[in-house]
Amino acid sequence: MTTATEFAPAPRRSGIKEWIFTTDHKRIGILYLVGAMAAFVVAGIMGLGIRIEQMSPGESGLINYFVGDFAQTMTTGAAYNAALYFHGAAMILAFLIPALTGFAANYLVPLMIGAPDVAFPRINALSLWLFYAAILVALLTFVIPDKPDIMWTGYPPYSITTSANTAFYVFTVHLIGFASILGAVNFLITIIYMRAPGMGWNKMNMFVWTTFGAFVIQIVFVPVLAAAVTLLLLDKYVGTGFFDPTRGGDVLLYQNLFWFYSHPAVYVIFLPAIGLLFDIIATQAKNYIFNYKAAVYGGILGIVVITGEVWVHHLYIAGMPNWISIGMMVTTLLISVPVGLILISLWGTLYKGAITYNVSMWYAVVCLFLILAGGLTGIPLAITSLTVHLSETSFVHAHFHFIMGLMATFAVFAAVYHWFPKMTGRSADIPIAKIAFWFTVIGSQVTFLPLFLIGIKGMPRRYWDYAMFPEFEPYHLIATFGSALVAVGVTLMIVGWIYAAFRGPKVSTNPWNSKSLEWTHTESPPGPGNFQRPVRVDESWTPYNYN
Amino acid sequence: MPKRLEMIVNLLGILLLSGEAAFAKATTGEIQSPTEAWNHTWDDVLWDLWIIGGVFTIVAVYLLIRYRARSPGAVGTARPLNLDMALAWALVPAAIFMADDFFLAAKGWSLWNIQRQVPRDAMEVKVTGYQWYFEYDYGNGITDSELVVPVGRPIVLRMTSKDVIHSFGLTEYRLKEDMMPGRVTYLWFYPEKPLETQVVCVEFCGTSHAEMYNKVRAVPKAEYDAWLSKKLERKKKAELRKSQAADDGANVEPAQ
Amino acid sequence: MQQVVQGEARATHEHHWEVSWAPMAVAFGVMFLIPLAFSAYFVYQRPLLAIICAGIGTPLVLAGVAKWIHEGATQHSAISNVSPVGIGVFIIGEILIFLGLFASYWTMRISSGAAGELWPPAGTPHINLVLPLFMTGLLVASSFTYHYGEHKLNDGRKGWFLVWLLVSIILGAGFLACTAYEYVHLFAEGFVPGTNQYSAAFYSLTGFHGAHVLVGLLAFAAILFGMIVGNVNKMFVKVAGIYWHFVDVIWLFVASQVYYW
Ligand code: HEA
Ligand code: HEA
Ligand code: CUA
Ligand SMILES: [Cu+2]
Repeated sequence: MTTATEFAPAPRRSGIKEWIFTTDHKRIGILYLVGAMAAFVVAGIMGLGIRIEQMSPGESGLINYFVGDFAQTMTTGAAYNAALYFHGAAMILAFLIPALTGFAANYLVPLMIGAPDVAFPRINALSLWLFYAAILVALLTFVIPDKPDIMWTGYPPYSITTSANTAFYVFTVHLIGFASILGAVNFLITIIYMRAPGMGWNKMNMFVWTTFGAFVIQIVFVPVLAAAVTLLLLDKYVGTGFFDPTRGGDVLLYQNLFWFYSHPAVYVIFLPAIGLLFDIIATQAKNYIFNYKAAVYGGILGIVVITGEVWVHHLYIAGMPNWISIGMMVTTLLISVPVGLILISLWGTLYKGAITYNVSMWYAVVCLFLILAGGLTGIPLAITSLTVHLSETSFVHAHFHFIMGLMATFAVFAAVYHWFPKMTGRSADIPIAKIAFWFTVIGSQVTFLPLFLIGIKGMPRRYWDYAMFPEFEPYHLIATFGSALVAVGVTLMIVGWIYAAFRGPKVSTNPWNSKSLEWTHTESPPGPGNFQRPVRVDESWTPYNYN
Repeated sequence: MPKRLEMIVNLLGILLLSGEAAFAKATTGEIQSPTEAWNHTWDDVLWDLWIIGGVFTIVAVYLLIRYRARSPGAVGTARPLNLDMALAWALVPAAIFMADDFFLAAKGWSLWNIQRQVPRDAMEVKVTGYQWYFEYDYGNGITDSELVVPVGRPIVLRMTSKDVIHSFGLTEYRLKEDMMPGRVTYLWFYPEKPLETQVVCVEFCGTSHAEMYNKVRAVPKAEYDAWLSKKLERKKKAELRKSQAADDGANVEPAQ
Repeated sequence: MQQVVQGEARATHEHHWEVSWAPMAVAFGVMFLIPLAFSAYFVYQRPLLAIICAGIGTPLVLAGVAKWIHEGATQHSAISNVSPVGIGVFIIGEILIFLGLFASYWTMRISSGAAGELWPPAGTPHINLVLPLFMTGLLVASSFTYHYGEHKLNDGRKGWFLVWLLVSIILGAGFLACTAYEYVHLFAEGFVPGTNQYSAAFYSLTGFHGAHVLVGLLAFAAILFGMIVGNVNKMFVKVAGIYWHFVDVIWLFVASQVYYW
């Protein structure tokens, strides 16, 4: 069914201008990846700083160097808070969301649905550069004297009364939020209107479906966050009193608005990550998606529907009225139903498969277990009364580092390995990648498992000093050791990618023998317009039809 | 705005905020310690999660090993599910998961009722959060920077904050609740035996968030009374000194 | 429905990399114009720096937008006919921003009502309730005139379209002028955003809406400019129209909530 003439050849010559001014979705995708990984490295280095400071109670003062305060003019607490602010905000807003809905969605969605590009290529480029503008604004944190220290949640009244620069936080959110809204417009239209003839809704790749779900969430919820932080900005710098109780405002209003977005945001991360896993696993297992419709209509759409009604589970200890807390406890717990359906499909995809393992698949396999560890620890947090003890402890940290910092992050890594041949024509599955894998996976467990244990015992969040809990020191020590292993792993991985992009072994256009359009109908890397001739899929085609 | 509309709006507001009142009403009978109850519920829930996680883990490991490709170029042999099987594989698990969710929710709710319903004869202490310390008001104008309570009696804390949001984290008692400016929240605990522990601030409140903690001592009733009368005495002395100072017209520093 | 547009999507196959510097210019222009200029002025109290930032940002944005419109008029896109749907999706997002703002306003109202406080709170001067009626008239009228103009354009009568477009622009500008007039008077009476809860809601809602009117007017201006140099992009005319109607409808909510509740 595939002939060489169907591949669109890439033009030989392509200079810097063709990269930075590009409106091509594939190049935009790669530029997203570069920006997101840069954010990951900087935020990861902040994470190392956090771990070093927490290694033992009391202050080491080393954290000051991490945030660029070489003269040690800041107190340890202030420097730690600036580092933690950057770590949390950048990891979520500038790394994961752009890596998934920026890089992966851009690179893969048009190819998977057989489209020449997205619906609005220039708007797509606008999203990209707004994202870079946001990274620049966020990086200003390190050069201004009044570094933001309000955490990624930015709760007032602290964010209003602090002498630090809340504005940069707000604008980072604005720029990325606007980029997301435009991205949502673009991708929803692309997926609805630009599928190849013959590709019905039930034949789309799982990743396309999850992207669709993620962008529906983005278009509905991001604007509310934008409104919330705008009011925060007005409160702090223009003197309005929405959130400041001394001016008649309500502190809980912000928290409600914030979590109204930021809870759904976790599924903006979760869904595409799962979609990537589905496509990687189905390809490596050469198998159908088990119960595709249940995963799509029960799982993905189920999550999209429920996600807007659960945000109060972040406010269980904030004195919300009981009926809301109890109601949202039930809705939160019910999220396990769609997630459970998705997992059954994911597990079932292995059933009667013919699994081959490579680095990409290794990461995907690890993700299966991370979903369990991270997701199931969400359950006690969802139970109002258990959260009364667990909230604001390392347990929460461990929960979301497992599901997000590890699972979703590894899904991104897996995706890069899996589609590396598509992006570069070369394989990144080289020995250094395998070494990096073991360092990262083992190191991450050593880092975050201890956080569960001390979390249950009550280690509070956002503590640079824990003089009152000296018994936790060994755990922190182990965690810090683990993070050093992760750092080695991540460094090797990135070095491996860069090496492989230029010197890696050349591979064929479809090294995994996938059935998905991006492998069967395009060259590696695909040229402008993606497909030589219009793609048309027939009745029996699905991206998972191997036998 | 027309009067009637205004009334409706106000009623709506009161209704929204009144859920609290229904819960906060006192209960009688045996006092159940929220701390113990937390530990029990936690154990039950943990079992539940280990079982679910265990099943999924075992199945995953089995599938990953069993279905390795036996030859290069091998493909999977599964077929798409027929409608009956597809429905069964969606509805049955969904029902099971849902049942488990409701089980967990019920467990959680009963513990929540214990945590939120303050026993009738609880002793009240007012707590105020500042950057970066807690202040306790025992009534009668006695304030202190540590929390001392008698054992064998439920204690209810009425909490607020004077600057930013703090949170009262009683780690040892498995309890915490935010303290917010402009709002009063509450939390109750039941010290059954003497215990010296601490409260930590667990809501981010600025540079010294990590240094905001103090002792919480549950002491026998007699010891508590002694402590209280000493406090009272000291306060009286201070007042006396103050009034004397005022009589003398001298500018004496206020006693601590 | 996908089939309808398929053929066209296929026809646009390119053999070179498409480039445009317009998006990058707009994005970084916006960065200078809003985050950096705002921070320079409000956070660091450096008006000069703020002016410099705005001075870098404004030309970048303008150049980017001009280039963009030029390209939009002369080049084809990956798929046509979907822009109206695109703006529809975008408007869903916009509605939610307004909902976020309204939710904040309602919370204020309801909690102050529940606490038995006076509304509007002390410090609120008399607000002219006739002016907003007039403004509503202007905006609603402009929606109709624009719509009428679009009809003319579809009939191929560009001259009449130009006329109705101009009328719409004048009506919209009149609306903004009224807002400016109102703000100036209220400011003079000491009613600024920080005065009380009502002022906060008042300025954030009307201000945010006003910003939308401004954007709509800029889009109209772009169309006007295009007409003058001789190219009309009907799709853009349609999209701007949908946006304008949305801005109009939202005003009804803003006005009824802010002035007459
Ligand atoms: C990708 C990100 C991600 C994802 C997917 C999730 C998923 C979930 N999260 Fe998590 N969460 C975060 C990121 C994420 N979270 C972050 C960042 C925070 C902290 C924010 C901050 O304060 O800074 C947080 C905090 C957080 C809290 C607040 C804690 C607190 O601050 O007090 C709660 C409470 O309910 C919670 C619950 C859940 C639940 C129930 C899920 C569920 O979706 C999980 C569903 C999955 C499973 C349940 C496992 C698989 C399912 C089965 C095996 C089926 C059978 C299972 C059952 C029947 C139980 N999370
Ligand atoms: C995607 C999300 C994500 C990811 C991936 C991570 C990754 C990591 N996080 Fe994360 N973390 C958050 C999201 C994430 N985090 C959030 C949202 C918070 C909450 C913030 C808040 O409370 O407000 C948080 C909070 C948080 C805390 C809690 C601090 C406290 O409560 O006081 C800690 C402490 O251990 C921590 C540690 C780490 C570590 C060690 C990693 C490691 O996995 C990092 C690994 C990466 C590196 C080590 C970088 C490696 C690169 C190099 C070494 C350079 C190489 C250079 C080249 C090759 C060019 N994080
Ligand atoms: Cu007080 Cu944290
Ligand atoms: Cu959540």
